[in-house]
Formats: sequence, C-alpha cells, structure tokens
Amino acid sequence: MRKLFLFSLILLFSGCQKEKIAFSRNVTEVFYVENAGASMRVMVQGNTLSNTYILIIHGGPGASAFFYNTKYISQNLEDKYAMVYWDQRDAGASQGSGNGGNLNLDQMVEDLKKVIQVLKFRYGKNMSLFLLGHSFGGLIAADFVTSSDYQYMIKGLINVDGSHNYPLNDTLTRQMLLTVGQYQVAQKRHVDKWKPIISYCNVHTGNFNIEESQQLEDYAAVAENYIDSIKYVNYFSQVLKYAVTDKYPLTAMLSNLIYSEDSNFNKELAISEFSSSLNKVTIPVLVLWGKYDFICPLALGEDFFNRISSTDKKMVISPRSGHNMILQDKKFFCEEVDAFVLNHR
Amino acid sequence: MLKTGISILTIIYCTLCQAQSDSIKKLADRHLKLKFSYNSSLIYPGISSGIEFPFQQIDIQRLKKRGIGKSFTKGRFLTGNLSWYHHPYFHDNFYLTAEWVMRRTKSSGFIFEFSVGPGYSRTFLGGTTYRVADNGSISIIRHAGYNYALVTVGGGFGYDFSMKRQLPVSIFGKMNLLSMFPYNSTIYFRPVLELGFRYMPGRIKSKVTKESILK
Repeated sequence: MRKLFLFSLILLFSGCQKEKIAFSRNVTEVFYVENAGASMRVMVQGNTLSNTYILIIHGGPGASAFFYNTKYISQNLEDKYAMVYWDQRDAGASQGSGNGGNLNLDQMVEDLKKVIQVLKFRYGKNMSLFLLGHSFGGLIAADFVTSSDYQYMIKGLINVDGSHNYPLNDTLTRQMLLTVGQYQVAQKRHVDKWKPIISYCNVHTGNFNIEESQQLEDYAAVAENYIDSIKYVNYFSQVLKYAVTDKYPLTAMLSNLIYSEDSNFNKELAISEFSSSLNKVTIPVLVLWGKYDFICPLALGEDFFNRISSTDKKMVISPRSGHNMILQDKKFFCEEVDAFVLNHR
Repeated sequence: MLKTGISILTIIYCTLCQAQSDSIKKLADRHLKLKFSYNSSLIYPGISSGIEFPFQQIDIQRLKKRGIGKSFTKGRFLTGNLSWYHHPYFHDNFYLTAEWVMRRTKSSGFIFEFSVGPGYSRTFLGGTTYRVADNGSISIIRHAGYNYALVTVGGGFGYDFSMKRQLPVSIFGKMNLLSMFPYNSTIYFRPVLELGFRYMPGRIKSKVTKESILK
C-alpha cells in the first residue's frame, strides 16, 4: 500500500514542472506562458549557445507553430540559432478554459510581449532576438513593432508573406487572381479551374464583406496550385510526416483551428491595417515574398517595405514559391534568414 | 361482454406463452469487478483503474423451434474510474469518470460493450509555466493546468474467462472518446485506447438465481 502511494506521488509529480534551463547546440525545451486565460506553448529548439533566437509568429489565426518545425529548418537554421516555436492562444497546443473572449489582436500583441519577456528571463536579457512573422503572423508582427517601443525588444524583423493590412490584402488578392487568371486562361492552362475564379472576381469588385473576403482567400489558397512551376504543398502529408516524432496533439490543434477560423475575431481582422503606422518602424527588416503568393500578394509586401522607416531593410522575392516559402523554397528561405540574422545579431 | 373478456384473456395468455417460448431470462450473479488497464492514445502511455458495480445482469436463452438457440448475458454496470495519460510537452491528464456500461457476454465468453458517462478532468501542463505581471515580474506557476468537465463514450470487446474456465478474470480492449470542455473556447476530443483486464474478487463459481422473469 505504501509503495502504491509512493508510486502515485511519483506519477503525479512527474507530470508537473521542473525548471531546467539548458544551453547547448542541440536543445529541445518546452515551456508555457500563461496570460489572460490561455497557456501558450513555446518550444525552443536548436543552438542556444549562439545566444541568437528566432521567434516564429505562425499564420492562421488558429494554425500552429508545429508546421514550421521542419527537418530542413532543423538542419539549416537550428544548427546555428535557436528557433522559438510559439503557439498563439486558441492555436496549436495552447490550452485554457473558456478564454474565447480574449481572442483579439491587442491581446495577442500583449501575449507576444510576454513571451519575449519570458524568453529573456530564461535565456538572458542580452540575447539577440528576431521576430519572423508569416501570413497572419505578419499582422501580429506589424502591430507589435508599431506599438509603443516594443520594436526595441528585438534586433530585427523578418516578414515572410505576412499581411499587415487586411482590406488592402483583399483588394490585391482580387487583382492578382484576375490578372494571373486571365493570363493563364490565355495560355490555355487550367482553364476550367481559373474560369470560376475570374467570374467571381468580376462580380465582386470591392468593399468586401467577411464572406467575400473568405471566398477570395479560399480561391487564393488553391490558385497557386494552378501555377505549374510552384511546388504543391500537401498539408496532410506534412502532418503525417511529423505528427508522431513531434508529438502533435492533433485533436487539440484541429479544435483550435476550427474555433479560430470561425470566431468573431475574423471580423476584427477584416478591418485591421497597419500601413498608416509602419513609418514608426526603424529596426532592421528583411522582407521575403513568394512571387506567386495569391493569399498575400507581392504588392502587399512592397507596400510594407516602402512604408517602414528602417534604413537597414531588404526585400527578396522567391520565383519558386507561393504563400508557403518555408516549404516551397526552403533553401532560399534558410539562406536569406541566415544571412540577415548573421549580419544583425 | 363475457365473450370480449375471455377473448382478451386468451390473447394475453397466448402472448405470455409466446414470450416464454422465445426466450428464457434469468437473473444472473452479481459481482463487483476491479478494472486495470493500459490507457493510451496509441503511442502515449497511461493507466486506468476502476471499480464496477453490477446494476442488472440477466442470462438470456433465445429458443428456436428446434432445440436451444444462442444464450448470452446482458449486463448493466455502473463504473467509477480514475485514469491518467501522459502526452509529452502537452499535458498529463488525470480524470475521474462514472460510466454506465452495457455489456453482452456470449456463452463462449466473448464480450461486446458500450459505455457512456460524465467525468472530471484535471490537466497538468507539459512544461514550466510562467506568468508575467503587469510590472514585468515573472513567476512560475506550480502545478499549472486546467479543470474540465468531461464526457466519455466508448465501445469495445473482450473475453470473459469465467464463462468457460471458471477464472474470475476477463480481458478487454476498448476505444473511448473523451470530450473535455470548455477547452479554450471549444471542446477537446481525445481518443483513448484501453487494454486491460477485470478481476472479480470472491467469485469462484457461477451461481444462477432460479428466478424467471416474464415479459
């Protein structure tokens, strides 16, 4: 009986927390940051001896940082730097109880600030920290670097196909779908696929409501599959490839994604824009864009690049990628990120 | 009036006779069972233990026109379980459930069952959890995790060794679907596979109460 009691205690406390900060060339650590009803999962993986950290702000809303933790990134960035995979609230492996009322952009920016504070608490205030925002993560990053003096918490910003202005994004997506679609039809490529997209864009011309905005995004997501030179991204096979080794909490990720995609939060996003405040940004910035990104068209990246006040800025375009450069042109992505971080850490 | 009354009585009598000729139901023995199982999401470990109270157990013999047909035992049980699973870097989940179990045991010993019930879950997050105060001070939350309401639904099969070999043990495999809420602002579904055995302490030999039940 006594042994059973001891065994139960061991089980109970093995599930609880241990504070152990490791510095090595090959670290894998997970911790959580609790804020406003959500406990957000943060995984630090790679070379913490470098004292250089790249914090990924994933897309979505409701996706997960798990998808960015690929074997290629492990081999080509994590050997040099520590990658920080943060699951936003109501996304990925983040947990909580009845916290949907706190799903808004201001809260997410505050979450990000607290994640950075905890990173510096764990790994040292003098760390070199870079933010890498992708897709919806670009909106959080734009909000963050234009809020107060938050930008000085980081050494630099990497914007990868990120959206900083949702209304402009919709307009540009429609334009790109029309222009590229008409060209593809003229070239007799995937005509049956492009025709309904072109018809929709011809009917819906502006002042998009939330349904139109979502329909444009749906068309944009499939449109890059009709460009023959762009690598098709099979998310299902990605999940199968990493679900076991990376210990995905699959059903939690799915529940969070479904909730976030349909939440009222999207109405707030539909009218969010930071073009008018980007002139506040003075830190070094790298802008990476896929030439065939219909979800966040290239013109959106140019708008971001032209509006920031940073003197140290660079924009590079991948001719082989759409919206998911990290998977579609991984060599290009890793080389550009590596060069930027190396120069600014 | 008399004719009508006799007709009704005749119909009722014939119906009863028909019921008796189709099947024979007997109250079977009722024994408390203890359950131990490996409780996992296929690759993540866990354990479960529980106690099972028989609520109703009936031996049924379905008779065919030519001799005895199949016989089986229908059982209704109330179970209380304490379970745990460990999902690395995600959470450890300790949960209590009370389940209503419907089980059919064939004379050969094969078991089919279905269960449903409410529960309570307490998770412990799979990593050190920090809280940052408004003034920037950072603290570690001990035993961070969440309380959830839980509903479990499951089904499985197994084999009862007491039917043929007088062993007070049965083995089973069962798939449960846990639904925990409010998980963030939604429901968290978690499939859990249970592989284990039930032990019936005190049961040596099957006893059948000679009590017939008429429909």
